[in-house]
Amino acid sequence: MNKITIPIGPHHPLLKEPLSMKIDIAGERVLGASLRLGYVHRGIEKLALERTYVQDVHLIERICGICSHVHTTTFCLAVEALLGIEVPPRAQYIRALMCELERVHSHLLWLGILAKHVGLETVFMHTWHDRELALDIMEGVSGGRVSHAANQIGGVRFDLSEEQEAMIRENVEKLKTQVGGVLDVIENEPALRARTQGVAPVSVELIKDYCVVGPVARASGVDIDLRRDDPWPPYDQLDFKVITLPDGDAWARTLIRALETRESLRLCETIMHKMPDGPVTVRAPRKVPEGEVVTRSEAPRGEVVYYLRSNGSDKPARLKVRTPTLAVLSLLPEQLSAIHVADIPVVLAGIDLCIACADR
Amino acid sequence: MKVMRRRFSLLNAIFDAVMARPDTVGYPFGELELPEGYRGAIVIDADKCTGCGLCVRDCPADALRLEKKSRDEFRLIHYPARCAYCGQCEDSCQRGAIGHSNALVGATARPRELIVVLKEKNIDD
Amino acid sequence: MQFIKGLFFLLIFPGLSFQVVCGLAFEWIDRKLLARFQRRVGPPWYQPLADLIKLFSKEDIMPEGAYDLVETLLPLISLSAVLTAGLYIPIAGFTPFSFEGDLIVIQFLMSVPTLAYYLAGIASVGIYSLLGGGRSLLQFFSYEVPLLITISGPAVMAGSWSIAEISRSQLDQGPFIVFQPLGFILAVVGLIGKLKRDPLDIPSASSEVVGGSLTEFTGAKLGFWHLVMNIQAVVGIFLLANLYLGWSNITSPLPAIGIFVLECLAVVVVLSATSAVFARLRIDQLAGIGWKILVPLSLLQLGFVILMGV
Repeated sequence: MNKITIPIGPHHPLLKEPLSMKIDIAGERVLGASLRLGYVHRGIEKLALERTYVQDVHLIERICGICSHVHTTTFCLAVEALLGIEVPPRAQYIRALMCELERVHSHLLWLGILAKHVGLETVFMHTWHDRELALDIMEGVSGGRVSHAANQIGGVRFDLSEEQEAMIRENVEKLKTQVGGVLDVIENEPALRARTQGVAPVSVELIKDYCVVGPVARASGVDIDLRRDDPWPPYDQLDFKVITLPDGDAWARTLIRALETRESLRLCETIMHKMPDGPVTVRAPRKVPEGEVVTRSEAPRGEVVYYLRSNGSDKPARLKVRTPTLAVLSLLPEQLSAIHVADIPVVLAGIDLCIACADR
Repeated sequence: MKVMRRRFSLLNAIFDAVMARPDTVGYPFGELELPEGYRGAIVIDADKCTGCGLCVRDCPADALRLEKKSRDEFRLIHYPARCAYCGQCEDSCQRGAIGHSNALVGATARPRELIVVLKEKNIDD
Repeated sequence: MQFIKGLFFLLIFPGLSFQVVCGLAFEWIDRKLLARFQRRVGPPWYQPLADLIKLFSKEDIMPEGAYDLVETLLPLISLSAVLTAGLYIPIAGFTPFSFEGDLIVIQFLMSVPTLAYYLAGIASVGIYSLLGGGRSLLQFFSYEVPLLITISGPAVMAGSWSIAEISRSQLDQGPFIVFQPLGFILAVVGLIGKLKRDPLDIPSASSEVVGGSLTEFTGAKLGFWHLVMNIQAVVGIFLLANLYLGWSNITSPLPAIGIFVLECLAVVVVLSATSAVFARLRIDQLAGIGWKILVPLSLLQLGFVILMGV
């Protein structure tokens, strides 16, 4: 059979964001792939140097729409470390609550996308309907469904009233039931399992070679999770399970995200239960003394690393962001060799791409 | 029986979905309910604004501009098309003059002509 | 007079206009049902007509190197094939053109769109079209054989190859779905494959091959293909309703029409529910299922019917 090259080009129904791949196929088998990024590059790291720290918090939020809160949290942690100020405990708990809710909404979004690409549009619509509950919580609390603007340097920008706490508890309960139903469907639907089981298994050696992080690594049995290994408060006071699965194929990557969603909802309940009272912000000076700092966080897709260097003024001297999708994308050409053409959507969906994060 | 029920869980789900009404909001033909804290259009309490410019300094999107001749002659202009609706101006203002309402800002075909003068004091031109 | 009558049958009922209206109605019911299964509102009743008018008003572009004459003729040939097939199927017992053996003719006419789909993929020389066209032929080989074997079941049981006869004999023997439930299920699966619906919409899987053979089609040609898909669905549903559920040959017209409409709606609900519940198969999984499960089951069903007759 001749070899033809199909472009999964910048425009394709499979991709949420532009990415260019050229895939060589012969008949129905894939021979190899090559990757090209940069379509969503906006120069955030350079733009951040021309704005003050206060303005940068809002700029950093727009690196990615799905994991916006984690980015701002990590940035604020970096600046607060350089300033040497300690955020009040209630603000830490609110930050963790928003992080976990973001994990829930991101995984539900991803699950819908996988179902849609496999042909199960009903599951897509039903999971996005359940995701609206999480977005309703975030909108009621912070004022925006996707752009929360929850963080400021020195704490969070809003406090939770009694009614809001009751609303959060009620919606988290509802979400737990719905996510239980979704988990039922995934585990028992034979067609979904038939499409994903045994597809593109990734070994532990490949994970370690390419420095892959996040649920993709945990689905192959590598036990890393920054919330437990390198926690920022309050994660060091909270109890939760880190889920790993041994197989490493697309089915494991599907199941692990559904299980992580359930675990995150339990974590939300623990956070609401343990939330202390007190102020939600401390005053932060505008000029940051000289220094450099590295902070890390566990975004829904893996480990986010921020490097910040300051020179005593109110604008940063250098900001560097390493997002998890960049680490996982390097694995993609390897995963795409020796599979069926019909498995390309399953593999792509399994990595949970967020190209806006990767390109900055 | 439980195994059968779990096997047909998707069939149950679509049956329930048909029985319940769709959750789609009928906007713009129906009502749209926005929560109170929703960050919508910028409003100002003109009596409290003194033209200090803290909001202008902290705006990340350059959506506010202050034309100031002296302490009592200034004009504060807002560009809703550039605004990121982040609420930083509300936090920076120390007198609680500027802030967000929960009204939606409509779409426009001419974003460059969307200019709102928030406060004008003793200034013409 | 005969000429006017013939023209009426060809163009108004049960020919062109009736089938086009039924095709649009089917598309609306299907989309509305799917939407309600997914907690959405769904389109208003005039949406399929509006889509068709919109398609016919768009510009017609073809990539360089594509065979223009072939591209124009293929949808028109498919349309005429399915319209002709629809003429022979009894609508609530009324059929002006039936003859002995029209079941075979209909099967042949209904496979013309599939072959035309394949040729359309080859003739528009884009990569996605080639892939989609190839897949459609592979799928054709997997579902067509079980479908043909299954459809012979009602013919054997009624003792005739004319659909009107098969439908009429169910008034004496009872609806054939009671005696051949497995046959009904297999016929529904075959129909899903022929219509290229979820879970067997492998040739036009939008996540893999963007649009399948029809990726490069625009404007009036795509409008005709759209009509072909809808009318093919309607003809298939009428066929299944007559072969397995036929009880609509009662002499008084109003109950006959009512029963016929109910039967067709039942088949549409089954098709939509299957579409909503199952995920798309992979082409090698379909080939496996087609030859390892569907063909033996259909032979079993046919053998059972023959034994029962003896």
